[in-house]
Amino acid sequence: MDGIDLTVRAGTFHGIVGPNGAGKSTTIGMAVGLVVPDAGEITILGHDAVRDRAGARAVTGVLPDGLDLPERLTGAELLRYSAGLRGLSRAAAAERVTELIEVLGLTKAAATPLADCSTGNRKKVGLAQALLHAPRLLVLDEPFEAVDPVSAASIRRVLRRFVDSGGTVVLSTHSMMLVEQSCDDVTVIHQGRVVAAGTVAEVAGGIPLEDRFVELVGAETSGTDGLAWLVR
Amino acid sequence: MSTVAFTPARMRASMFQRSLREHPGPAVAGLCGLLAAGWLIRYGLYGDQHTLSILAGTWVLGWIVLPLMLGGGRGRVRPSHLRLEPVGILPAAFGLLAASAVGIGPLVSLIALVSLPVHAARHGPAAVVVAGLGALLLWLIGLIGSAFALEAIGHAGGPVGAIATGVFTGTVMGVFGSVWAVAPWITELLSGAPAHIVRWLPWFPGSWPLAAATGPSGRGLLVIAGLFVLVGVFALVYLALVRRTLVTGSSWRPRRSAAASASASLTATSTASPSSAAARRVPGGWWGRGPVWAVTGRELRTWGRHPLRLQYLAFAVVYGTLLAGLPMLANVDLLVPWAGVLTALWAAAMSAGLVGLDGTALWLPFTTPGGERAEVRGRGLAWLLLVTPIAVLLTVAAVLVAPATDPLAAIAVLPAVLGAGATVPVWVALLRVRPVPDPRHPTSADNPTDIISVLVASGAGLLTAAIPMALIIWGPDDLRWLAPVLGLAAGAAAWFGGLWLGDDRLANRSAEVLTAAGRRTRAPEAAIPLKWDADWYRENRATAWALVLLMAGWIPVVPQGLMVLVFDIGGGWIVASHFAGSARTGVAVAMVALGGAMLLTGLVLWGRRPQPVPAAT
Repeated sequence: MDGIDLTVRAGTFHGIVGPNGAGKSTTIGMAVGLVVPDAGEITILGHDAVRDRAGARAVTGVLPDGLDLPERLTGAELLRYSAGLRGLSRAAAAERVTELIEVLGLTKAAATPLADCSTGNRKKVGLAQALLHAPRLLVLDEPFEAVDPVSAASIRRVLRRFVDSGGTVVLSTHSMMLVEQSCDDVTVIHQGRVVAAGTVAEVAGGIPLEDRFVELVGAETSGTDGLAWLVR
Repeated sequence: MSTVAFTPARMRASMFQRSLREHPGPAVAGLCGLLAAGWLIRYGLYGDQHTLSILAGTWVLGWIVLPLMLGGGRGRVRPSHLRLEPVGILPAAFGLLAASAVGIGPLVSLIALVSLPVHAARHGPAAVVVAGLGALLLWLIGLIGSAFALEAIGHAGGPVGAIATGVFTGTVMGVFGSVWAVAPWITELLSGAPAHIVRWLPWFPGSWPLAAATGPSGRGLLVIAGLFVLVGVFALVYLALVRRTLVTGSSWRPRRSAAASASASLTATSTASPSSAAARRVPGGWWGRGPVWAVTGRELRTWGRHPLRLQYLAFAVVYGTLLAGLPMLANVDLLVPWAGVLTALWAAAMSAGLVGLDGTALWLPFTTPGGERAEVRGRGLAWLLLVTPIAVLLTVAAVLVAPATDPLAAIAVLPAVLGAGATVPVWVALLRVRPVPDPRHPTSADNPTDIISVLVASGAGLLTAAIPMALIIWGPDDLRWLAPVLGLAAGAAAWFGGLWLGDDRLANRSAEVLTAAGRRTRAPEAAIPLKWDADWYRENRATAWALVLLMAGWIPVVPQGLMVLVFDIGGGWIVASHFAGSARTGVAVAMVALGGAMLLTGLVLWGRRPQPVPAAT
């Protein structure tokens, strides 16, 4: 990262986009305490994320990308474990776990060891654990990767309801369509720095967001040269 | 067979050459194997036919099983590697077997089995040819069996395969560890197999090559045909495994019945009242209250399902029991009451790399308030809940088996070893994270524990056990009964010490631990200057102190402490030798404690040294 400065308005759906290796996951990791920044400040809903870790964690739900899960647990067991970590009562855990399994379509994954679950189901279980303790901020890294369109639509509705009720969602994604459809604000990160931020309409500047994104980060290759042997 | 079929063998040869260049391990193993093979050939020249048959068969069995726990799965060409290649199933299976034949195990085994035709030479040239053919077929059984075992059991054997592997390793290690007690039995076997064993040998394929070479020609033909059939069956089974992998993308991996579990667990509804009866039937089964019990529940479930954890536990129980029990063969029952203690000690040693097995799953507690503390306590508590009943049961059984042996020392030491074994390995596992390549589907060849972790984890148990032992050995006789209480206190102290160290590690280095757990390749090490660099030492005081303590800590432990206590050495620079009687012993014990504290502090400081910034990805 290179002195990143990022502000997310509370009560919004905020997308973080950037090319591979831009620093999206590192930014998210720093925000939730999984990566330690060399310097700087991170404040989450009034809590200093470095000095008041417990306060920041209590209001945050996290879905990281590419990290392992307790692979020998089933989806339902992971949720019960997560509920226990968060100190939920058994009754509250039972009610929330059952409802999340139903709403997110996790009936099969709930009874399957996570090591044997598909990537999409793992994402959904991960999302369920992030929602379980009713956080006020959801930080999601590539939440829709490998999730089927039907599940993705229902997850988007859940997240929109969460935002409408005052919650905040920060998600990183490569899908400009998702950002245009779902996000209020967007931040474009490139080479560890913020190169554009604002509402989706402001950042897009009247052209499709994908075109604007390519303008901002610059294409490394145009894809029009070389490979003559392929396109002869 | 097309030349494509030999591509896996060429790949394997390249990997093998590189591993020989990079690590001394395979070369050392090869040398040991060659020595053993040489001894077997020599035995074949002069020894008993039946015993040689048993040894040759056991060799082949060991070739099949040992790579499962000694890392033989690494550097192999696997069926899944060929899945996207345009190779037929038969050429693929042939190529994979050809690749399996490249390596130290197959080469050394082939040499060892030469002992069979060497033994048959006393019956004439025809017997040599028949025994040679039989040895070759036996070698093929080992080759295919080993390839099959590594693929099927190593990757998908599930709990049964894991426990079987642990039992086998524990047995081998236990027998080696008690070789002085087993030696008379081995000597008797080498001088000629007993009649009751010889009676069963015809059912043992290891005996068939020599039976064919030395028996009537009709029976010899039948026996060789039997070996051909066995090779054919093994080949067909391996072919089916390769076919399955190439077609479906996986060898067989038993999955839990999702539907059955789902119907049993998903009975609560979203509108269910939170009554206790309903709470017992919620998805995910029963979980204790609060973060520590959440981690404990996760750990206990993982212990029951993770193949490597099951393997380690089975190993600890079998190894500990055999070390204590096998000396009874030599009418020595002194060690019998220690079965529980030894099991707990090995269980602790084998738990010193468990964090690496879980990959980056630690992120969950790391994003939860108080999650780090719960992680350390939950892991320790789960280990205690798992190992304590086993260790207590073994101790009680041992006391019943050897009522004449005084069990006081073992009973006193047990709580000390349990206390240290529960939490110190957690700290060690957090300090030296060695992630497995694939935490979702680990193989029994993946072993994230290294020798330093094992030594520190078991050393902590021994150090804690030394406290009640010191009272029993050197204390007044009328206070010996207090030893179990002292053991309990020492165990509690070690428990809290381990918790403190684990907490400290996660409070200051949780992000570093997570990064290490996610690193599938070797972590970059902070460079230590090899010559005097005043600036470096000024900027890295803690690391410099760690180096000093780790180098100097051994002096009070070994020459000033243990050498005095065990060998009663003396000398001008040995502090304890300037005292006499219990004062001399006390000074030596204090030296061991001082050195232990220095080494421990050194390790803590070493764990806190600044790490180089990894290259951006």
